Amino acid sequence: MKRRHFLLSAAAAGGALVVGWGALPPRGRVGSANLLPERDAMIALNAWVRIADDGSAVLAMPRVEMGQGVHTALPMLLAEELRLPLTGIRIEQPPEDTIYGNVAMLTLSMPFPPAEGEAGSRTLRYRAGEWMLAKIGRELGLNVTGGSSSVADAWDVVRLAGATARQLLVEAAARRWRVPSAQCVLADGIVSHPGGHSAPMAAFASDAAGRAPEASVQVTPREAWRVIGRPLPRTDVPSKTDGSAIYGIDVRPTGLRFAAVRMCPVLGGDLARLDTEAISARPGVLGVVRLPPAHGATGGFAVIAADSWTARRAADAAAVEWAAGPGAGLDGTRLLAELREAADRGDGHVFRESGDVMRRFAGRARVVEARYEAPWLAHAAMEPINATAQYADDRLTVWAPTQVPGFARKAAIAASGLDEDSVTVHVTLLGGGFGRRLEVDVIAQAVRIAMAMPGSPVQTLWSREQDTTHDFYRPAQAAWLAAALDPDSRLVGLRIRSAGDAVVPNWLGRNMPILAADLPDKTSSEGLFDHPYAIEAQRIEHVRVRSGVPVGNWRSVGHSHNAFFLESFIDEIAAQAGADPLAFRRGMLTESPRHLAVLELAAERAGWDDPPAPDRRLGIALHESFGSIVAQVAEVGLDGGRPRVHRVVCAIDCGTVVNPGIVAQQVEGSVVFGLTAALHGRIDIASGRVRQDNFPSYPLLTLAEAPRVETHIVTSTRAPAGVGEPATPPIAPAVANALFALTGRRLRRLPLDIG
Amino acid sequence: MLELRINGTTTSVEVDPAMPLLWVLRDLLGLTGTKFACGVAACGACTVLLDGAAVPSCVRPVSTVVGLPVLTIEALRRPDPHDDHHRILVALREAWIEEQVPQCGYCQSGMLLAATALLIDQPDPDDEAIAGSIRNLCRCGTYQRVREAIRSAAARLRQTDR
Repeated sequence: MKRRHFLLSAAAAGGALVVGWGALPPRGRVGSANLLPERDAMIALNAWVRIADDGSAVLAMPRVEMGQGVHTALPMLLAEELRLPLTGIRIEQPPEDTIYGNVAMLTLSMPFPPAEGEAGSRTLRYRAGEWMLAKIGRELGLNVTGGSSSVADAWDVVRLAGATARQLLVEAAARRWRVPSAQCVLADGIVSHPGGHSAPMAAFASDAAGRAPEASVQVTPREAWRVIGRPLPRTDVPSKTDGSAIYGIDVRPTGLRFAAVRMCPVLGGDLARLDTEAISARPGVLGVVRLPPAHGATGGFAVIAADSWTARRAADAAAVEWAAGPGAGLDGTRLLAELREAADRGDGHVFRESGDVMRRFAGRARVVEARYEAPWLAHAAMEPINATAQYADDRLTVWAPTQVPGFARKAAIAASGLDEDSVTVHVTLLGGGFGRRLEVDVIAQAVRIAMAMPGSPVQTLWSREQDTTHDFYRPAQAAWLAAALDPDSRLVGLRIRSAGDAVVPNWLGRNMPILAADLPDKTSSEGLFDHPYAIEAQRIEHVRVRSGVPVGNWRSVGHSHNAFFLESFIDEIAAQAGADPLAFRRGMLTESPRHLAVLELAAERAGWDDPPAPDRRLGIALHESFGSIVAQVAEVGLDGGRPRVHRVVCAIDCGTVVNPGIVAQQVEGSVVFGLTAALHGRIDIASGRVRQDNFPSYPLLTLAEAPRVETHIVTSTRAPAGVGEPATPPIAPAVANALFALTGRRLRRLPLDIG
Repeated sequence: MLELRINGTTTSVEVDPAMPLLWVLRDLLGLTGTKFACGVAACGACTVLLDGAAVPSCVRPVSTVVGLPVLTIEALRRPDPHDDHHRILVALREAWIEEQVPQCGYCQSGMLLAATALLIDQPDPDDEAIAGSIRNLCRCGTYQRVREAIRSAAARLRQTDR
């Protein structure tokens, strides 16, 4: 899928990028220094870069650190352009402004199908909608960390902001020394001129401030990179290994109180009756607050005490009557049956159509059909849902581990009734995000609670049970797939109809209704309609089935189930065709050389053609998501009759790599995340209640079960693409395909159950 | 008043004796390095050492640790080079940095304490021993680096012991 470059031309061949100042649109994303507040000992040169007196540089950091390494990768871009070591860059959360909006995520992840070469009158409508949405998005400037987009989004902007700052400093030095700026050099924080002049860059910051560069700004060409591409140690690792890193749950403003939340056990329900007096009479209880449903949260109440444990015990002991509401009718078994029905017979939105599908499947065509499905899944980040807020002196301060600082602030404004200038949101580290912290349900709760206790900061904390049973789940999906083979067993026709609820309209509906257009959500079908195989006739469609179960973004979104459906099915067809799974795929990648290269790399490094180890077999899967192509080979055996994954060889083409150490970490972590879902993950819903509630009933992969993961990165000069999610989708099909090779049994349902 | 010995320092707290040690540490003493993640001793994020043994502090009433030496991740602020447990924790922490173990990092305090207990008990664990002993959950999937870092720290400790 093509990535749109809103700002700069796509002439990035070789990495040299020359930007004429006049070519930038007026609201160029480098922006004005006025956006950053005045601070002692620091001078802003644009909306991203400040130069400090001590010789360091401070990068505006709108994106949040949830383990994906963005607080190292983005500073590396600035370190490159300012010619500083990474240790010379500090980061600071900037004030909220549209200039810090995430443009890449919007263009890659928004609900419309790609407007690429498909016939039909609806294409124009979607093109127009997509353009408008992106424009609105840029004007609204959504600060979102997610969609594996932070590096892709920052790539041009931060480098340009850094290069511009460098240019301004050098020109200021040149003016002071009365020498040509082209002869001045910035290196290691010092500007110098061969004539003998030399001074720290900070000396020129105030002279540089407020100016525009005189000459064209050039970002550092690839061949001169000294930082980008190196596996530099992450800047957040030291504090994450000595207990000093502060997550949302760790903030301790003076006088902090603690609130335990308890919500209606039925999804979407509310509080009916609460014996507030009895709760308040308990020793240690400082307050009781009703919490109406808001931003998708189920209604409930909170108990405030001087410590978390006292609050939690009081909340759990409280006598309460719930109003279950319509959610009481939610039944997972029935909903799954509806999904299967819709996948078989439903009226879907067609995301891809080419060739003459009906002819290919007609008459005496050899057809292979299969039905697949995947369950709801919870996020289960290790840091439970929490947020802290304080309402004092007519001001509201919020501390939150959030992926959406802008939405968080809006929710805080709405919940408090205060005006925008009175509300500040401080973003902390996140103990895992995975898409769960794209929601602001807890923010609204925390603010309501703080408003009930003016003066005191209050930390609102969910228990693990509340977290697991009140998630925004990865939606369950069912799919019907059919393949037509010609007499030579080549795949010549592919039909897919998948069914499930749509994530993006639900998420936007909770957070930014103006963007929640009722148009088909491409994320429902991503990974199915956009596969790389050359298949002559195709129809790929999706039926949206609204269920009433709260659904949200879960690491890799639609790819998380669709890769399992398609890559397992491709393997099934290969088996029917009597073909080796690798060779079969190879034959269909004639028009996708990059995909082929990734597939071959994984197969080669895994020893695909070597004789298999006794009692182990290999399975392969190929999948593109978030702009990156990943192939995985899983080596699987059985242990006590259950699947045991020993090794996963992963090849990834993610474009230009900023930090290969971080890429390897993300691949390893994504595999474990996806493998947990493949082997264990399921959320069951009965009478509107989620049955799983804590790790004993919703198990995560353990160290003992974790495979050895090897990462092989394809060298590329394309712009950086996604790294946080793309290695999650392929692991389930790779393991399922290995299990087929091992046992002859084809598993079409997750979690994989060989018993 | 209960008298607690934490990281070599004695502290008195006025607290309900049934309160789990985890919350005494986090909410009363401001030691937030030990984490809450499940509350039912299923995940290891709250692991501290009690007299050298790994315990889940989320289910351990504070009254039961009175007078016993408690080791938390904050021992790394002022590690005692003569204390064997501190030495092991320091070596593990250095290995954790070298191997670039943490991603989100939330589970890592518990991991480090669990690893410390393992090396106290078994100075030269193989992969199977590590898998059998380290039951801490990590959602970010840092397991293979945890394993490498434990092996690396163990090797280094054995070298300096010679």
